Amino acid sequence: MPPPGQTQLPDWDGLKLRVRTLIASHRVMIFSKSYCPYCNKVKELFRSMHVEYYALELDVTPDGPSIQQVLAELTNQRTVPNVFVNGTHVGGCDSTYQAYQDGSLQKLLGDNKDAEPYDYDLIIIGGGSGGLACSKEAAALGKKVMVLDYVVPTPLGTSWGLGGTCVNVGCIPKKLMHQAALLGQALQDSRKYGWQYEEQVKHNWGVMVEAVQNYIGSLNWGYRVSLREKSVTYLNSYGEFIEPHKIKATNRKGQVTYHTAETFVLATGERPRYLGIPGDKEYCITSDDLFSLPYCPGKTLVVGASYVALECAGFLAGLGLDVTVMVRSILLRGFDQEMAERVGAHMETHGVKFIRKFVPVEQLEEGMPGRLKVIAKSTEGQEIFEEEYNTVLIAVGRDACTRNIGLETIGVKINEKNGKVPVNDEEQTNVPYVYAIGDILDGKLELTPVAIQAGKLLARRLYGGSSTKCDYINVPTTVFTPLEYGSCGLAEERAIEEYGKQNLEVYHSLFWPLEWTVPGRDNNTCYAKIICSKQDNNRVIGFHVLGPNAGEITQGFAAAIKCGLTKELLDETIGIHPTCGEVFTTMDITKSSGQDISQRGC
Amino acid sequence: MGWEEKQVRGYPEFVQTAQRYHGRPIFALFCGDKDAAGRSWCPDCVTAEPVVRKELHNMPDESVFIYCLVGDRTYWKDPNNEFRKNLKLTGVPTLLKYGTPQKLVEEECFKAELVRMLFTED
Repeated sequence: MPPPGQTQLPDWDGLKLRVRTLIASHRVMIFSKSYCPYCNKVKELFRSMHVEYYALELDVTPDGPSIQQVLAELTNQRTVPNVFVNGTHVGGCDSTYQAYQDGSLQKLLGDNKDAEPYDYDLIIIGGGSGGLACSKEAAALGKKVMVLDYVVPTPLGTSWGLGGTCVNVGCIPKKLMHQAALLGQALQDSRKYGWQYEEQVKHNWGVMVEAVQNYIGSLNWGYRVSLREKSVTYLNSYGEFIEPHKIKATNRKGQVTYHTAETFVLATGERPRYLGIPGDKEYCITSDDLFSLPYCPGKTLVVGASYVALECAGFLAGLGLDVTVMVRSILLRGFDQEMAERVGAHMETHGVKFIRKFVPVEQLEEGMPGRLKVIAKSTEGQEIFEEEYNTVLIAVGRDACTRNIGLETIGVKINEKNGKVPVNDEEQTNVPYVYAIGDILDGKLELTPVAIQAGKLLARRLYGGSSTKCDYINVPTTVFTPLEYGSCGLAEERAIEEYGKQNLEVYHSLFWPLEWTVPGRDNNTCYAKIICSKQDNNRVIGFHVLGPNAGEITQGFAAAIKCGLTKELLDETIGIHPTCGEVFTTMDITKSSGQDISQRGC
Repeated sequence: MGWEEKQVRGYPEFVQTAQRYHGRPIFALFCGDKDAAGRSWCPDCVTAEPVVRKELHNMPDESVFIYCLVGDRTYWKDPNNEFRKNLKLTGVPTLLKYGTPQKLVEEECFKAELVRMLFTED
């Protein structure tokens, strides 16, 4: 039925022609209504881009309603604004803004003779394992690359140099301090091997920290030299997106510069989470502070049961400190729980106190190391726990650094629950020119080698014509607790969930490292387990080892698993004697048989 | 005040001089001995020295630049010489910022950009 106010039948053909002509003859054509706020928004957008548009206000144009109908037929869109750019239908207000944010609007506007080229081919935000690997690879492929790295100091003021978490406050110092603790144990064993010395051996925290920090300093410097040699521009500045393809970089002194690039990579990593209770930021430390702590932590409470918590608790205890671990529920969430419990049990046997099912609720303070009073409440009842410590180390998880870098401004979506960035299998975010790698990825492993591999392959795909994607399957890992735990493939619970218990065969064995016999160290503690898929030729789908040098052992088996290792191949492999790793070549006892695996002799 | 240069030879003299200027930024260039004609037995040192000297004006104020001749080739090749043992030097020429892990070794010293970076970074 004809809209009110019109007494004649509309000339549909004439109107269609008119609409098509308008669309074809204006770079930006907006079918609008003068009172419509969304139309105003869209006009504002083009004005801000300094792009001229032509708007037809359908509320004051004769035949306005009919034109609206023609548009509906043409574009399936009944509403205004209805936007066309260089003849292409873009859509309404939301679609136009989306196109602006993801760059497709600019592409449509296309006639880029006046558009300025970007400053850089690639800008990477974050100079950690992933960011640096990506930047060096891209530079090697001839691209103009910038890396921004900036460490926001901890609440206690701790900061560090170029290289990211792994180098400064993660893997590197952790492993060195773990080694310091192992050497302490070795000193104890040495007497049994005939070493004789009078002095009591003590540990000097300051000497260790200085040596570790010196090494880290040489790594920071090494990265600086490496980037400079490869002509990668490095800015020690905080990067934030302010517009599509453009970031604002703020250095320590507050000076601001702006930079544009065709492509961006987010590699901002994570920082430790606090508890959210009174006193946590003022009086507690995290792993960010621990590795450069200028005083010995003394009697320490570690809150958390992540691998960060257990590794730190482990080496602190190994250095002779009084350590307690406060656990809300389970140990090493995400890892094979049988192995996790064994890790914990070993730590407990060796003097680490565990308080299970408690959470801290309040702290008080004094000096340095101070005396912190911790009050904790049971998660299962009304029980209260109260104790004083010199240091409280919070290790309850890490949060992605994605909230304050302007991602909303350019439309990059993050998982609101955890702040992480969802990407496709090419590490691309929802905004085509923005990629992400490393710990900030949603649903991927938080490991240095994974970030490095992802970064390198991404650069090769972007600029080297490669199509190889990062393989996240069967990535090996090791937890460097006092008794190390190495694994590759599935945890037993996951395997049961995925394959069904009846389709699995689990082989396991306890073992006693030869080196532990003479000093009389724990027997029947080191443990090895493999999970095989019966339906697939007894393929090894889960590898777990608890024992010294677990990382070294696991690395080789990870390669074997990538080659499709089966139980038969393992059995055909001859062991190296005497080693711990050889246990995997002679595993006969299955869990299903129920046989006893305790060791008696060689 | 600008910067000043001290020329020394051998490890004890180096240490003495570095200690005397404790508290000021100290940069040191280690080179092989020079013969009577003024040429070093170390060809890389011959290449590096002018590059480094050209960048000296980039050092922060109050800096001390210690130009240190380490000894003859035989002394240097000895894996237990004091420079290797105590300063952990691995080669000549070495340009370093004393008291920090920041250093440039051998061909790195030929690159003006890197030398400038060493003198101006914190």
